[in-house]
Amino acid sequence: MPRPSVCLALSTSEKKQTAQKHKPSPESPHEVTFKKSKIKSPVTKRASNVEENGSDDEGDASEMEKNFALLTQKVSLQAPQDEISGGVSDEDVTGERHQAVCSNTSGSDEDENVSKPARGHGVGDELCPKDDFTKDLSEMSFEKVLQLQNKMGTKAYKKIAYGTMKNRQTGETVKQLSKHRPQEISAKKTVPFLRKVVPVKKTILRDPRFDDLSGEFKPEVFNQTYKFINEIRQREAEMVKKKMKKVKSNIKREELKYLLQRMENQERGRQRQEQYRQKDLQFKRKQRELVQQGHRPFYLKKSDKKKLELAEKYSQLKKGGKLENFLSKKRKRNAIKDRRRMPHQKK
Amino acid sequence: PKRKRKENEVEQEIEETPQEKKLRLAKLYLEQLREEGEWDVDRTLFLSEILEQKGKLQRPLAGGLVAPDPIEIRLLRGHKLSVTCLCITPDEKHIFSASKDCSIIKWDVGSGKKVHKILGGRKGTEARHVGHTAHILCMAISSDGKYLATGDMNKLIMIWEAATCKHLYKFTGHKDAVSGLAFRRGTHDLYSASHDRSVKVWNVDENAYVETLFGHQDVITALDCLGRERCVTAGGRDRTLRVWKIAEETQLVFHGHEGSIDCVQLINEEHMVSGGDDGCLCVWSVGKKKPVSVVKQAHGVHGNAGLKEPCWVSSVAALHNSDTVASGSHNAMVQLWKCGQGFRGLDPLFTIPVTGFVNSLKFSTSGKFLVAGVGQEHRLGRWWRVKDAKNGLYIIPLKRQNREAETEQ
Repeated sequence: MPRPSVCLALSTSEKKQTAQKHKPSPESPHEVTFKKSKIKSPVTKRASNVEENGSDDEGDASEMEKNFALLTQKVSLQAPQDEISGGVSDEDVTGERHQAVCSNTSGSDEDENVSKPARGHGVGDELCPKDDFTKDLSEMSFEKVLQLQNKMGTKAYKKIAYGTMKNRQTGETVKQLSKHRPQEISAKKTVPFLRKVVPVKKTILRDPRFDDLSGEFKPEVFNQTYKFINEIRQREAEMVKKKMKKVKSNIKREELKYLLQRMENQERGRQRQEQYRQKDLQFKRKQRELVQQGHRPFYLKKSDKKKLELAEKYSQLKKGGKLENFLSKKRKRNAIKDRRRMPHQKK
Repeated sequence: PKRKRKENEVEQEIEETPQEKKLRLAKLYLEQLREEGEWDVDRTLFLSEILEQKGKLQRPLAGGLVAPDPIEIRLLRGHKLSVTCLCITPDEKHIFSASKDCSIIKWDVGSGKKVHKILGGRKGTEARHVGHTAHILCMAISSDGKYLATGDMNKLIMIWEAATCKHLYKFTGHKDAVSGLAFRRGTHDLYSASHDRSVKVWNVDENAYVETLFGHQDVITALDCLGRERCVTAGGRDRTLRVWKIAEETQLVFHGHEGSIDCVQLINEEHMVSGGDDGCLCVWSVGKKKPVSVVKQAHGVHGNAGLKEPCWVSSVAALHNSDTVASGSHNAMVQLWKCGQGFRGLDPLFTIPVTGFVNSLKFSTSGKFLVAGVGQEHRLGRWWRVKDAKNGLYIIPLKRQNREAETEQ
């Protein structure tokens, strides 16, 4: 793959410098990549090309391929590289790289050039080319970062931007040590008059209804574990009945009657809830079977559910023989209601 | 492939001689130190010097110690009431001791005779009397043997010239009894701790107060210091040990005792030993907030059947930069301990019979003898009185079995 000419978008002085730098053609691909990245990052080249050839799409595509290959090579070659010439001047190189990276338009070039601090190209820098990259990333605008990410691929980008797991784990080990170390506090703060002599534990108030510790409410589990309470309720109802028989004052008997009524209503309500739950479960089981057999499941609307319940109620009443009674009462009630709504006729 | 490598390593270890292993371990340790980067790599230092610099030296002297004959233990009598504190001059020729009768006596070690006695005054005579008029709780001597500092329950610190016992200065400033004093080695910086829960720094040369440090929640019962600009204090009932970093104005807090901590001594720059009234003897390392090793009921129990209480550890002493620790209580013996590797264990060595409350223990700098200040009562109060105890100093010579050159760890 022929390397495109580097000097396209640069000023004459820079052109000369870069031309000089490129004259001794390096042998090892190792060196090539690094020098290239130092002097001119692939992004730079792409940017320069864009500046020069406005809408050269094919050129862009080939460029992108080359740049991607180079970038991945650079990522893999993170080891210290000793062969780099120290004679590369800092500011021009970094400046022009930065300028190309940060802007496509030539207008803002000067600003980038000025803002970029000079960095030493000593051994330390070559040992961690990753660091310059992260610094550059932080200074690029978000749009450019996204473009870079699209070009490189997310995996390579993340590796460079955030580092690998090996680098990250050192933080955790340091934290573990500090757990066993003694507490270090200031020695200049006066101790208050009320001193902490005995450690007193603060009682944490928690409402088990809303606490995460209590877990999720599952009615079947709840009913299973607290079954014994229903027996207690029955016994209490019997106790109330007995007491009602014994009690002499009317007021108390009234109170007990209300209490008994309440208990019985609660019991009935509870049983009704249970029945509904059971019916729901049955329905769901049926649906599951259907699905297993291969049919599509269907879900009833609330109105449909109500209709089914009504139908069941009617069948129950029919068994007991009270259907007629129930229906007549209902008709009467409806009639009264309707009559109220009808317009009056004044005589 | 990893398992094979491990097997190879094991084989290698079996083949090498113990000397080679020592060499390998020493090299490894040096590598670690170099990584930590606290000493100059260019200078060739002995490992002991390096460790001493870092404050981690532990000379294995305890193994060679032999219990002395009871005949060889000398008792120096002269104090009227219980001896509360003592200190040995750096040249090991004299011992200063103070007692509840407010007097300070300078003894000569060789002959056992009193060289000088500074009498104590009675309660109302503070204005005209040169000396203390209340119980002397602590004393310290500078590492060049020039100054002697004593603190009493009248909130005063008196500075004396050690050679002539002449009174030099009086430091006022504490709001309650002064309970701990220590000079920083190589300097004339004095650190004082008091029952008003503060630690004060003084400069004796210039007769000046430097600063105050706060942090303890209860009465401070003891203080100790070595060469670094930091000191360790034992807070009484707040059950904490605090290491004060004076230059950085911070403190490190250590928890671990169950009862009041009554005494503390530094073994080397990084480790200290403390004793409390729960009978526990603890060895601490500066890097860990809990004690590295604990011995419960170090001196047994006392009391009626069914009401057995552990004997309070009233004093501890540590031989500088070694693994020997001594502790004293009122169960008629001074117990000597040997610290394990890295101070991770405490094993009892032998006991020395001493009746009474051992209110103060000090090793001589070379480790040749141990001095115990003994009284009929505890130095801080009058809970008990041991009638058949004699108020005085016991000088206990420590003999060694093998006289090899000290090998460093």
